[in-house]
Amino acid sequence: MKLSTTSSELLGQLQTASRVASTRSAVQALSGVQFQATADLVELRATDMEVGLRIPLAAEVEREGTAVLPARLLLDVARQLPSGSLTLELRPAEQDVEIICGPAKFHLRTLRTEDFPPLPEPGGDQIVHLPARAFTETIAKVARSASRDETRPILTGILVSASGTELRMVATDSYRLSVKETRLEVPVEAGFEANVPARALQELERIVASGAEAETIEIGVRANQVVFRAGDVVLSSRLIDGQFPNYRQLLPETYEHELNVAGDELVGVVRRISLMAQKNAPLRLSFTEGELTISAQTPDVGEASEPLPVPFTGEPFEIGFNPDFLRDGLESVESGDVVLKLISPLRPGLIEAGDGSGFLYLIMPIRLNV
Amino acid sequence: MRLIVARCSIDYTGRLTTHLPEAVRLLMIKADGGVAVWHDGGSSVKPQNWMTPPTVIEEGDGQIVVRKLAGVTEDRLEIGIVEVLSDVTHDMGEAAALEKDGVERDLQEALAAAPAWCGEGFRLVRREWPTDIGPVDLMCRDHQDGWTAVEIKRVATIDAVEQLTRYLERIRRDPAMEFCAGVLAAQVIKPQARVLAEARGIACVEVDLDVVRGDREPELTLFA
Repeated sequence: MKLSTTSSELLGQLQTASRVASTRSAVQALSGVQFQATADLVELRATDMEVGLRIPLAAEVEREGTAVLPARLLLDVARQLPSGSLTLELRPAEQDVEIICGPAKFHLRTLRTEDFPPLPEPGGDQIVHLPARAFTETIAKVARSASRDETRPILTGILVSASGTELRMVATDSYRLSVKETRLEVPVEAGFEANVPARALQELERIVASGAEAETIEIGVRANQVVFRAGDVVLSSRLIDGQFPNYRQLLPETYEHELNVAGDELVGVVRRISLMAQKNAPLRLSFTEGELTISAQTPDVGEASEPLPVPFTGEPFEIGFNPDFLRDGLESVESGDVVLKLISPLRPGLIEAGDGSGFLYLIMPIRLNV
Repeated sequence: MRLIVARCSIDYTGRLTTHLPEAVRLLMIKADGGVAVWHDGGSSVKPQNWMTPPTVIEEGDGQIVVRKLAGVTEDRLEIGIVEVLSDVTHDMGEAAALEKDGVERDLQEALAAAPAWCGEGFRLVRREWPTDIGPVDLMCRDHQDGWTAVEIKRVATIDAVEQLTRYLERIRRDPAMEFCAGVLAAQVIKPQARVLAEARGIACVEVDLDVVRGDREPELTLFA
């Protein structure tokens, strides 16, 4: 294998590919990035066996071939290379790859190519095309609610479903639940539902946001795998087995209080006051006639409070929330009014986008010790 | 307990030879013969010099010698006293033993008193249910009256899964208990242990001792 490219091109694509390479696998090749050079295409490939990524590298191929190089080390090298063109050549006899960029010359030992697994081709039993922007915006709305607790793998995924003109994503870590329903302009060809690791979808979101030239995302769903194609980038992921919680059952049918609040203002107050809610201290929301006071107190650190006019009527009540979770929900609404729906201090509260954009954020309160 | 604050120099001979030059130190001489030499610095938990009991302590003019037989040789601590700043003796009385809380036994006691934390409708049949390779922590009946063996750990690792698997293999030899289920209950279950347990059909339950005892309310969640 011998190819020519530029150091900036290599660095740009490596930064994406290396994020997917495994950092803790017993199989050394999985910590690497595979270069696959054919006459018409050079592809960088990386996988940790859960998520796989194939990303093109703009390069001229002098000699076809395949090589696996340690992802982290190669990325560190690429970051330090001078700008300009570079050549990358596999030297089978030396079991290394020679990188020459200007006066700099590196010889990097290769990892075992035969240990690097083949990555799936795009396509699948069901293929759906969805607008890339709508898809990634929906991911961004719900991803924060997915659990990072690997002991409950089902909750580390985002339940993605599409049918007719509706795309829906749901994520929950049992403390909060995000649901985003996005209306599609064109009905999908075939509906599907899959629990996709949040990590894979967040990676896809990053790839699309960082300039993968894709109007649409092609989604191929297989028995236990999903393959996304955005432009020339192919991202595959295993699907998470098991029954995702029935989120509809979790949404209360009625609420005691329903308040329209200016989202930006509320987020600002929550961000400020949260600074004084440290060491698991809750954010305290005290509702009185026409006013909401948000306060927080951390022993030995300090306290803060700020009132906010809200159209609240009825008996005063107080409810506590995890400050990060509340902020996540409010920030996910992004702009405009938010609708706060509350029942009682120990029942879940709902944050809804006031513009009817189909975003719901259900959040469980924290018990307040007076 | 005798506490002497003194300006002193100390020579140790035994497994090696050390010398502490003259400085102010605290000499702690316990009733059981243990001796520890402290200074105001260095390690916060380790004395500069020490001798564990049994020892022979000889006190002469300006000198304390602590001797201890170590096999055929002798460990010897020679403390040369230049100036005594304080010398007090306290009767410490009977000391209560260290009480540890949150150990496996506490968890077992708490779960035996409230076995429903291990599974829906669980009732305790017996603690320390005997098998021929050792006792399983709890034997319960579930809500359908099925047998369930519960192994309790503070931190459950793959070894805990292996241990419960061995118990279940022995228990299931009894035809009356051939469908005995297994539950691994722990304050922390390592992800690898959970994977292995679930692959073997063993349920995993993470419990919080304070919550099981009713000392703390469980965190509110949308679902279990």
